[in-house]
Amino acid sequence: MSIESTPQTKKGWRGWLGERFPIDVKVYEELAKEPIPKHMERWWFALGGTPLLLFAIQAITGILLTWYYVPRPDVAYESVQRITTQIPYGWWVRGIHQWGSQLMIITVVLHMLRTFTTGAYRRPRELNWMIGTGLLVITLSFAFTGYALVNDQLSYWATTVGTNMFAEIPIVGPIILQMIRGGMVVTADTMTRLYPLHIGALPTIIVTFIVLHVILIRFLGVTDLDKRERERLARAGKSAPANGKHEREASHFPFFPDHMMTELVIGMGVLIILVNLTILFPPTLGPHANPAETPSHIKPEWYFYPVFRWLKLFPLQLGLAGLGIGAACFVLWPFIDAFIEKRTGNRDVNVYLGFLVAVGAFVFILWELFALQ
Amino acid sequence: MSLNLKALVVIVLAILLLATFTVVAYVEGAQKRVGAPPPAVASAEAQQCIDCHTNRTPGMVSQWRESLHAEKGVDCLSCHKVAKDDFDYFQCPGASIPIASHPTPKDCKECHEKAVVEFSRSKHAGLNAQKFATSPDRLVFEPTISTQHGCQQCHNIGHVWPDQSVGECDACHAKHTFSLQVARNPQTCGECHLGPDHSHIEQWVESKHGNVFMSNPDNYKKLGYRAKDYVGKPAPVPAPTCTTCHMDATVTLPATHDVGERLAWESQSPWSVRTTEAWGGGLSWQQKRDNMENTCSQCHAPNFYQRYLLSGDVASLQYNEIFREGRRWLGEMNKAGLIGTAGVKDSLGAFQAFGYDEAPEEQIYHFWHHQGRLYRQGALMMAADYTQWHGIWEVQRSLVEIIRSASEAGLPEAKAWMKSDNPSKYMLYPLLDVPGTAWGIDTIAFRKSPEYTTRILMNRDGNADYWEKVKGNVEAAYKNNLLSAKQWEMWQKMYANRDKELGNAYPLSPEIQKAMDGEKRDNAAATNQAVEFKVPNGSVWSAIWDALKPK
Repeated sequence: MSIESTPQTKKGWRGWLGERFPIDVKVYEELAKEPIPKHMERWWFALGGTPLLLFAIQAITGILLTWYYVPRPDVAYESVQRITTQIPYGWWVRGIHQWGSQLMIITVVLHMLRTFTTGAYRRPRELNWMIGTGLLVITLSFAFTGYALVNDQLSYWATTVGTNMFAEIPIVGPIILQMIRGGMVVTADTMTRLYPLHIGALPTIIVTFIVLHVILIRFLGVTDLDKRERERLARAGKSAPANGKHEREASHFPFFPDHMMTELVIGMGVLIILVNLTILFPPTLGPHANPAETPSHIKPEWYFYPVFRWLKLFPLQLGLAGLGIGAACFVLWPFIDAFIEKRTGNRDVNVYLGFLVAVGAFVFILWELFALQ
Repeated sequence: MSLNLKALVVIVLAILLLATFTVVAYVEGAQKRVGAPPPAVASAEAQQCIDCHTNRTPGMVSQWRESLHAEKGVDCLSCHKVAKDDFDYFQCPGASIPIASHPTPKDCKECHEKAVVEFSRSKHAGLNAQKFATSPDRLVFEPTISTQHGCQQCHNIGHVWPDQSVGECDACHAKHTFSLQVARNPQTCGECHLGPDHSHIEQWVESKHGNVFMSNPDNYKKLGYRAKDYVGKPAPVPAPTCTTCHMDATVTLPATHDVGERLAWESQSPWSVRTTEAWGGGLSWQQKRDNMENTCSQCHAPNFYQRYLLSGDVASLQYNEIFREGRRWLGEMNKAGLIGTAGVKDSLGAFQAFGYDEAPEEQIYHFWHHQGRLYRQGALMMAADYTQWHGIWEVQRSLVEIIRSASEAGLPEAKAWMKSDNPSKYMLYPLLDVPGTAWGIDTIAFRKSPEYTTRILMNRDGNADYWEKVKGNVEAAYKNNLLSAKQWEMWQKMYANRDKELGNAYPLSPEIQKAMDGEKRDNAAATNQAVEFKVPNGSVWSAIWDALKPK
């Protein structure tokens, strides 16, 4: 008997859908109501959903911008100008996209800082940490390629300086630089390279990474910090506090609606901040890109300041080598951390290091900011 | 935070977000749409025109919508209003009201009186009344229908209307946007000021001014500024276009529509003539020069522009001596019956006395009307290539061509000149000069070189009394009011200091010695690689010639 001739077992839309999409609704409900550790109630631990929300906003506003943006250098600037000054709500959509990108970087970094300092990347979540570092790199690539598309003076020269770094990669550097720019300098061909990256390749990659990231979170669950605490106490030969703290039953709550609501509050807050930023600081546009006229201050966007300042401190190749080593350590940190723990028994290096890197980056940003004035 | 409290917070935040959206909508409503049609203000009568012409001549209407006129409520009938007996009275078949089909400066004057008054006394306005109307090249040499589309189309800026007003404002202020950006665009002037007889736009393009301006495409957009927003302030244009120097206001000099107010030379004339009070608001040529110097002073130091202008002025005076010599040869040929005349006399003796049929006559026309103008105008507008190759080289070549024709026709002096091997023979006329340049002391350019000084008597180092003779000629020019007292004083200072001004007082830089050695090596290489190099097999022609050669 074929499935077509089987009578529908359930009535109503659930039956109709269940037959055509044969996964029981209960599975979704279970997935949604999965218990998650109590510590997740704290706001600091609920930042992971925010970059996702912001990415969705970036995708929507990005699509709207492509309706009017023309990636040809002779008209790119004019099309951005048109979006900003003529298209109804164009200034706002562009503002949301611009500020959204900055908030996305901030929230990704905050989320990573939390993950790092609480050691949530430890076994078996090393791979998910690495996917996360990939997401940071993709987010920054989005920011860099997007900034280049505006084609005003600062954007043009930031692109020039930014792409210059590729030249310093040993052996293949100049070839990569040539491929990215489509010539010796930033030209018409650079734009036709960066635009498909920004609206095609990078979105595809980031969606893949996000899906992997979320699947792994659901498979592995979030780190149970109370369980970890119980184990720590047990190792130390101490018993858990009598008030039931760190007990599994007491220390879990359902994802939906409880945690979802926390995310919603944060998401709403971020949206309000985002919209207000666009009103208070609407997007601006500098003078048209002019390859013949180097501005007195070439600077990237503020989130690249730590890297920018770092590179100014050392000879370029040394600085880039340092950056490369730093990036490799960053990606492979879960393994380095495990190694340190095995050797020294110290499990708190991440806390100190996370603090140090965060403060360092902040100081570098301020340094660069004031050095420019 | 309890779940219920969180839900409440979400609701409050959602309301807040909605409130923020209304602020967004408010800001959107208050946005000034740059480049979009401004709120056009028109009377009910003009609205009839707009309604109909939006479909019939949509370009015209949308141009007007973009204009400042539209924003300020200057509508169709403000300019196209008409009286029953006006020459351009027109009853529009689709409307109840008659209109003027062709607004004239008289109409513009109602609002723009200063501009129209200045324009009406300007050389632009006089263009149709001047010699142009009776120019033989137009009158006898070319059919009128052709010149109507040629010279007359540009000279039409001085259109003389039946209503007695003069001019064609939209020659520069293109209708119906009347955009200031278009009016100040060098290309607007370049519609007429181009080509072989007055390559002004090309000269500007060649100049540093043009280059700096065009290097930033945004500069074109800056040209749309309104003069009244910059009274007593520097103009918001970082490098000069035509109007910056010839028309626009400086910090202390008012803007003008009389393009002659800053011109100290008639350099389109067959002769270089200092402008008279007949043009340029009744100012003397010295006052006009002061005006021009005022514009120079917005960016340059006096020592630079005064020296530059002195040098350009002396180059213009030198032209007169060359042209005088050209005329002399034609006169000699005419006296000897070697060339005729077309029967038209001209007091300036520029060309009319000789016609266009014989080679020397055609030559002297090119001499002054094309080459001589480019030489003089290039010298005053920083256009080196126009001064040199399109200018003095062609002028000299014309002079030689005229003498060659005279020689071929058998004029004894011309034959003797052609025969002479003296390299100084090309200086057929008295010389004027300036001991020094505007751009600094050059220790190499006029360095005495035995190779030349022993052979050529024409140049600065060639003979002992060169500067004495030049001084006499320049002084005579000053006394004839062709140079100002200030200029003559400057010339004398440079003369007294000429050893330094010309770089002779300074030792040669070793770098230059290297370059000179390099040139010697280049010459040796050229000799070796080309001059003395022979391939083994001869040409095809040489074989033919061998056969044809008388044995």
